Amino acid sequence: MTLAAPAAVRPQAAHAFNKACAALSKASLVLAVVGLIGVILAVQVQVIGRYVFNDTPTWAEALALQLVLYVTALGVAVGVRDAGHIGLESLVGLFPEAWRLKFEILIHALVGLFGAIMAWSGWIWTTLKWSDIKPMLGLPVGVDYAALVIAGVLIVLFSIEHVIALLRGEEVVPAWN
Amino acid sequence: MELTVLAVTFTLLLLIGVPVAFSIGLASVATILVAGLPVAVVFQKMVGGMQVFSFLAIPFFVFAGELMLYGGIAQRIVRFANSLVGHVRGGLGMSNVLGCTIFGGIAGSPLADVSAMGSVMIPLMKKEGYHADYAVNVTTHAALVGALMPTSHNLIIFTLATSGIASVSVFSLILAGVIPSLILTLCNLAAAYFVAVKRGYPTRGAFAGWREVMLSFGASVPGLLIVVIILAGILSGVFTATESAATAVFWALIVTVFVYRSLSWQDFLRACTKACKTTGVVLFLIGISAAFGYFMALYEVPQKTGMLMQSMSSEPWVIFLMINVLLFVLGTFLDMAATLLICTPIFLPIAMQFGMDPVQFGIMMLINCALGLNTPPVGTTQFVGCAIGGITVGEVMRSILPFYSALVAALMLVTYVPAFSLWLPGLFK
Repeated sequence: MTLAAPAAVRPQAAHAFNKACAALSKASLVLAVVGLIGVILAVQVQVIGRYVFNDTPTWAEALALQLVLYVTALGVAVGVRDAGHIGLESLVGLFPEAWRLKFEILIHALVGLFGAIMAWSGWIWTTLKWSDIKPMLGLPVGVDYAALVIAGVLIVLFSIEHVIALLRGEEVVPAWN
Repeated sequence: MELTVLAVTFTLLLLIGVPVAFSIGLASVATILVAGLPVAVVFQKMVGGMQVFSFLAIPFFVFAGELMLYGGIAQRIVRFANSLVGHVRGGLGMSNVLGCTIFGGIAGSPLADVSAMGSVMIPLMKKEGYHADYAVNVTTHAALVGALMPTSHNLIIFTLATSGIASVSVFSLILAGVIPSLILTLCNLAAAYFVAVKRGYPTRGAFAGWREVMLSFGASVPGLLIVVIILAGILSGVFTATESAATAVFWALIVTVFVYRSLSWQDFLRACTKACKTTGVVLFLIGISAAFGYFMALYEVPQKTGMLMQSMSSEPWVIFLMINVLLFVLGTFLDMAATLLICTPIFLPIAMQFGMDPVQFGIMMLINCALGLNTPPVGTTQFVGCAIGGITVGEVMRSILPFYSALVAALMLVTYVPAFSLWLPGLFK
């Protein structure tokens, strides 16, 4: 997990911004679940098409890959909010409490920085590739990169939420399950 | 210069506790800034690395595993496993080894194996009183054997990588992997037993009798059919691994909802959300590793090492040892497929020059890369195992030695005893 030391029990962060982030996080997860079910259905349609109708739908694989990008993007962002990403046990645990807090803030700030770079680069690719059309789905190639913009923006928001919560001595609690 | 930036930033970020995927991402961005290239390239590589159809099997296996966990299938399989080996010390650990090995053979991917079997076995082992580090180590090490199994896509990747250097048939490679996989599984069983005895895990009373074995087997048949569907589907060529994984999700739903009737709506939603979160974490890591691999190839890291090595020694055993050490180091950072594709063209000609058979080299490389998957800083299967077990890499290191030594011993045997891998394919020539 991201943070090495078991955090002391902090009160749950429940300000307006936290509530907004929680709602966003839950909405992201709901969409991701719908997307994942869509991926499974697309792959099943491919199998059924091949064996039952003797006609493999060409769009099915392309749709599955398209959807899984969005499931990943949303899952990554929720992972940032729920502190679900995998990392090394950090050396931070060896430092005194005051230092540890600074490092935790730094970690979230760095994650947020990467989110911002991802959103920005994703935006560049999205606009650049918007006029290229994928033959199988008829969608712009830019749609692939729009997933990065969504993930990046969410990561930035959730990282800011974590930093604020740490500064206030509060804890961000997962929004759903 | 760029390479130094890549290595130093990555290590530093990882050490202060930035999650692995973000450490790789930030290090890649820093490197590309130093190189004076557009930052957007990193993300192009990342998206490219995630658009691979066979990777879809991972979320499916995670999902199926979650459904099995909440839906009562796993409990029945555990009852069966316990009726067989539960009375032995570390019995659940041993059935985990067997399950992971079989599953690894089906999925052909240690990562999917840990995601699928780990999601079921690790929480159950914890519930039964095993320590999390033991549960994670048993699973992650048993899963590595999957890389050598007949359905391993890594075998195919290796044969692709050898084209133009040597002619290696998939068939002989599959045969060459049989004995090493069997020995690895036995070593894993022994290690699971050894640690269980050392830690004094309680046994669960006497052998329950064959009636209980048959009853519990009967109860778990609908669940076990998931494995049969996958195996039969892939072996007969009806399904690809990804398609059979998607079918497994459907079957898991049918069994838990209609046969066992133990999956509540809440459990279903929990399984869905868990699968999505894990998908995000794992596929993001795979995608961003593609960017990392791009830099390694760009700065010709493997090529430079190969040239340097040849100038250092002319003793075959020293060269083989050096190749193993270098593969190991690269494998700790790179994804298995990437290591195979980048390193085979460099190391295979050197190894052949010093008398190693290409098939033997392939098995050696696969075991070596598998070791890398369980070694920090980028031990992908280890990270996934830790994520499922809810423990840190540091904690998992406590009991890794017996399992790890078993794999190293097998690697040395394959490297220095050609018959170990070449005897079986030799019979069919």
